[in-house]
Amino acid sequence: MQTNVVTSIAKKEIMDNIRNKWIILVAAMFAILTLVVSYFGSLATSGWQDLGITISGMTQLGSFLISIVAFMLGYATIIGEIERGSMCSLLSLSANRFEIVVGKFLGLAAVLCLTILVGYGVAGIVIAFNVSNVDYLEYLIFIGLTMVFGLVFLTVALFFSTVFSKRSTALGGAIFLWFLFNIILPIVFVGLLATTIDFTTMTMESQLIAPDWYHVLNLFNPISVYSTLIVSTIGPVQSSTGSGFIPNPSWYSTGLLMFVLFMWIIVFFILAIWRFQRKDI
Amino acid sequence: MATQLIQCPVCKNTITIAGEPGEKIFLTCPQCNQKGTFIIPDQKSATTIRTNSATIEVKGLTKSYNHFTAVNNVSFTVKKGEIFGFLGPNGAGKTTTIKALLDLIHADTGTITINGIDIRSHGKEAKKYIGYMPEKVAFYDNLTALQNLRFYGEIKHASKEECIHLIEEFGLGDTGKKRVGKFSKGMVQRLGMARAVLANPPILILDEPSGGLDPRGVVLIRDKILEMKKKGTTIFVSSHILSEIQEICDRVGIINKGVLVAQDTVEGLSKKLNLKPQITVTLDSMSAKIENAVKKLPGVSSVKTQGNMLEIVCDGAMKATVILAITNAGGNIQNLQTKEPSLEDVFMRYTEV
Repeated sequence: MQTNVVTSIAKKEIMDNIRNKWIILVAAMFAILTLVVSYFGSLATSGWQDLGITISGMTQLGSFLISIVAFMLGYATIIGEIERGSMCSLLSLSANRFEIVVGKFLGLAAVLCLTILVGYGVAGIVIAFNVSNVDYLEYLIFIGLTMVFGLVFLTVALFFSTVFSKRSTALGGAIFLWFLFNIILPIVFVGLLATTIDFTTMTMESQLIAPDWYHVLNLFNPISVYSTLIVSTIGPVQSSTGSGFIPNPSWYSTGLLMFVLFMWIIVFFILAIWRFQRKDI
Repeated sequence: MATQLIQCPVCKNTITIAGEPGEKIFLTCPQCNQKGTFIIPDQKSATTIRTNSATIEVKGLTKSYNHFTAVNNVSFTVKKGEIFGFLGPNGAGKTTTIKALLDLIHADTGTITINGIDIRSHGKEAKKYIGYMPEKVAFYDNLTALQNLRFYGEIKHASKEECIHLIEEFGLGDTGKKRVGKFSKGMVQRLGMARAVLANPPILILDEPSGGLDPRGVVLIRDKILEMKKKGTTIFVSSHILSEIQEICDRVGIINKGVLVAQDTVEGLSKKLNLKPQITVTLDSMSAKIENAVKKLPGVSSVKTQGNMLEIVCDGAMKATVILAITNAGGNIQNLQTKEPSLEDVFMRYTEV
């Protein structure tokens, strides 16, 4: 692998995408909404430990919007170039397909991480102004975990960009995936859980103990993994979880959840390379 | 440290260079002062370079899509420094062949070597020698001409100065900060040619380089092709403008329904098809006697009459005999034109259904 090829492609992706008006629009929307949530959330709190609900709100907002940004960045990165014709020129250079995927991934990942950094960074500054004793390290961990979460959706989008043969189909695929992870899967999993629980024996005070299979299923939805990871890692969110939440099983560790997120990235990245290597341009 | 013998593309002087594998060497030919760059091949790929007079060699190339055979057992060679025209009707397999040359598609069977290097197994190494202009030229719309060219230039080890020079040369110097997305088709096409010749590649592969260009643009591209040939560049060009191909190409290959039906010089193909020149004679007045006199001549293939005009297809050497026969039959010649068999005639014959 030639580093100059990878860095050139990554650099080009950054330049190309930071001029993309749609990316700018969604990134700005993300930053503004995060700012609003963090501003009003931090007004009513006195210390870092009170920020649980605010960070939870930012996490919810992030999981919706970051997955959109990631899909927008990635869904057409390969098929869009093939359809437009620029992939032929790129592949006619002394650059192999592996280098192209790596370069594109790094460039898009940089744009995505920059978006998250700006959005949550500005929110962090607002929180720091309103709250006296902010735990910056935990807040940085929160930003870092969000970046890893964003990269999951980016690699999924990258893979699907190599699968479809039309940009329009890839867009449809990306929209479906967004609905799948954000809406369909949570409903299906909770629906399945509801069929196995006897609600007549439950009181208002009793906590819902879900069976292990439900927690295993949740590992297949990166949004659930990300939310669980934030709850179990970031202090304020951890302390704000009430009895309405389904408690996590003891075998849910930070290491396991991180491993699952990284596996999503690795598996879909390998699949993207494998598929692109075999694709006729 | 590896040493390599290379030949100057202009004066053919042999130069010995030394360097680390992968190192880019800037050199000037001591004989003719031609400047150029050379990358020392790495050990693995160096072993794959074979002595070969053909720069592009295609053997038994076949590519099918589902049940449709787009290219069927195509073989040809393009020699060092020649311009090879690749012709065929729409859907004949031209672009599929070009894509296979660049390893953009995976051929079912066959081998393709670029400067003796197998494109399938050592694509990265082989493509160092290639400059390519696709039929559908595309760039990154959000970037300027210079930003686009700099991106390709970085991968091809071309300097910023060279990119600026090429943008000026192709008449895009005044585009400044204008994004390529706002360029006209002709401007994009010219930028596409600039990208293809970036870093002076020893091989140029051009797919319809003049498509969508105004006459001035066509001349610009043609002159650049001829300039590159003078530098010793091997050029493989596909075009629908047959007159242009005939003008610039040393040899042509004609592909029809996925099969390479002919490859030779235009004259060679005309001879193979036994194509003869056409003499058009305009007379004061036409008579049956004149027409019969010409028809009777040995070597005359066909005679057509249109008013006072005679269209005669005959051997090239028959011209004087035809004139004599007409005047002997009482004809008074006002005008006489000879049209040699053209590439268009050859093309039509090889691609007729």
